Amino acid sequence: MLVISCIKQVPDTTQVRIDPVTNTLIREGIPFIINPYDSHALEESLRLKDRYGMRTVALSMGPPNTVATLKKAYAIGVDEAILLSDRCFGGADTLATSKVLSAAIERLDKQEKVGIVFCGKQTIDGDTAQVGPGIASRLGFSQLTLVDRIESIDFLRKRIKVRRKLEGRHEIVEAPLPVMITVVRELNRPRYPTVPMRIESEEKEIKVWDNSVLKLDAETVGLKGSPTWVSKIFSPERDQGEIIGDGINDPAGTANLLIDKLLSKDLLAV
Amino acid sequence: MKTLLIGEYREGKLLESTYELLSFAAQLNADTAMLLVGSESQLPAYAGTLYLADIATCGEYNPDLHKKLILDAVQKENPDCIVFLHSSYGWDLAPRVAAALKAAQISEVIANLDGGFEVGCCNAKMRRTVKSTTARTVITIQAGAFPVLQPGGSPAVQKLTADSSGNLEFIGYEPAEKKDVDLAKAEVIVTAGRGIGKKDNVPVIQALARALGGELGASRPVVDAGWVEHSHQVGTTGQTVSPKLYIACGVSGAIQHLAGMKKSDFIIAINKDKDAPIGEVADVLVVADVMQFVPALTAKVAK
Ligand SMILES: Cc1cc2nc3c(=O)[nH]c(=O)nc-3n(C[C@H](O)[C@H](O)[C@H](O)COP(=O)(O)OP(=O)(O)OC[C@H]3O[C@@H](n4cnc5c(N)ncnc54)[C@H](O)[C@@H]3O)c2cc1C
Repeated sequence: MLVISCIKQVPDTTQVRIDPVTNTLIREGIPFIINPYDSHALEESLRLKDRYGMRTVALSMGPPNTVATLKKAYAIGVDEAILLSDRCFGGADTLATSKVLSAAIERLDKQEKVGIVFCGKQTIDGDTAQVGPGIASRLGFSQLTLVDRIESIDFLRKRIKVRRKLEGRHEIVEAPLPVMITVVRELNRPRYPTVPMRIESEEKEIKVWDNSVLKLDAETVGLKGSPTWVSKIFSPERDQGEIIGDGINDPAGTANLLIDKLLSKDLLAV
Repeated sequence: MKTLLIGEYREGKLLESTYELLSFAAQLNADTAMLLVGSESQLPAYAGTLYLADIATCGEYNPDLHKKLILDAVQKENPDCIVFLHSSYGWDLAPRVAAALKAAQISEVIANLDGGFEVGCCNAKMRRTVKSTTARTVITIQAGAFPVLQPGGSPAVQKLTADSSGNLEFIGYEPAEKKDVDLAKAEVIVTAGRGIGKKDNVPVIQALARALGGELGASRPVVDAGWVEHSHQVGTTGQTVSPKLYIACGVSGAIQHLAGMKKSDFIIAINKDKDAPIGEVADVLVVADVMQFVPALTAKVAK
């Protein structure tokens, strides 16, 4: 039984800066990382491999430079990494993305039955929380979101029991396989590659499936197949709070000003 | 424009955020109907149509059944937008409904803007306006982004039922692990952000919290780095807090952090960058190096 993890390469948003003059994102030199949530999806697939010997595949839709991220997946032990890349896949929103990923999963399913598809619960760079559920509904898989623990898998009855993380409590729920699971960070701690594995991964070949392989109607994928579009990206206007004192040159004096303020608001228990 | 608002009922109570849905709809000037899987004993105070399904028979969460109820109400109301809260409930259910209706979904909306919906991106450094091209649109709104609007009155209730053929089997609920700190109850929270520089500096922030009779909070990178326990994390993936006084030390003010603390009564930000986004929600901004300023402040508070 196959376990698939869907991973996305994203710009490291903590390092993204805004050009104060043009008010646009400065993208140059921003490193790419694997979407942090997806690294937990990837890790969980590897744990199932370690535990049950299931074969693992990492799938990513993206531009050709996504190869770098898929190499990292090899370096921590996936059996196969496949890049879904084609000009016509570009500019996709979550719906169009789930279409391409689903087609790839169906194709893999023909060779070996897919049991579990893991996705991160959302991406840090864009729309949230829809790619995984999109895959589930397209393929008719069970949908389990916000999973923070896999309780058990019953391969005979083809059922999986998980714990979902809700507000202030957890839900235990069981579903039939095949299943699409979106994961939260509490699920696991992703492993690091070992040096020999990293060196080995450099040699590994990343399979690329373009649309001549997936054969999707080009009108229904990428930008054209996306029912949402971004009409504007902008930097928010801000109403700043009142700046008090000169904390850099006169911390002590500024602390006094702040304490007066707190006293005037009755926020300091005396 | 017509909206179908999906209210939420959790652990025996109508969620107050349900009223945030009403102000979202009011901002759009939209006609409104609401659907709630809840109880007749706790109806929302609003004078419109309410499709009500009984929580005792439909369960607090049964995705397939709740989806059917919503699709039924969509048929009856023919709304342009189906609006959920961006909670675990909306998170799981909204995409199911969107898929069934072949509708576009826009998640975690924070504002309505000229025909589109505003969402944050790149850690709130930027915003985008997203538009939908499908006849209907499924939306989830960020908690706290829209004010609570309690119009009063009582709804015209129409009861709904459905049976489930769903494939998920609900086993039970478990309480969350015990936390070593209950930030929700704290009146004062002093939060350490990445700007404190290193783990060794945590006690400096802790000392200010103590001097003020409050608790220590933390931003996510500080927790991820292992400087502070996760139970102290404030934000969308930590706790949502609204103390009387919130002091953010070296916190930039990413949207996920703001979502967890912006309802605090009085907010002080200490940051070396006067343009840090935290300034947007702060009542008072101290432009300073945290590690110089905080000890000075603690010393004076202690006096
Ligand atoms: C899905 C998702 C969920 C998230 N959930 C949460 C969450 O629950 N809570 C949360 O906090 N974050 C969350 N985050 C992360 C969030 O986006 C930010 O990355 C995080 O809040 C930033 O933390 P920070 O402000 O401590 O660090 P930074 O953004 O690095 O900011 C550090 C700040 O300190 C200032 N500074 C640096 N040095 C000094 C100094 N010497 N003196 C004074 N100021 C200084 C800097 O000017 C800067 O403003 C989430 C992110 C995602 C994508």
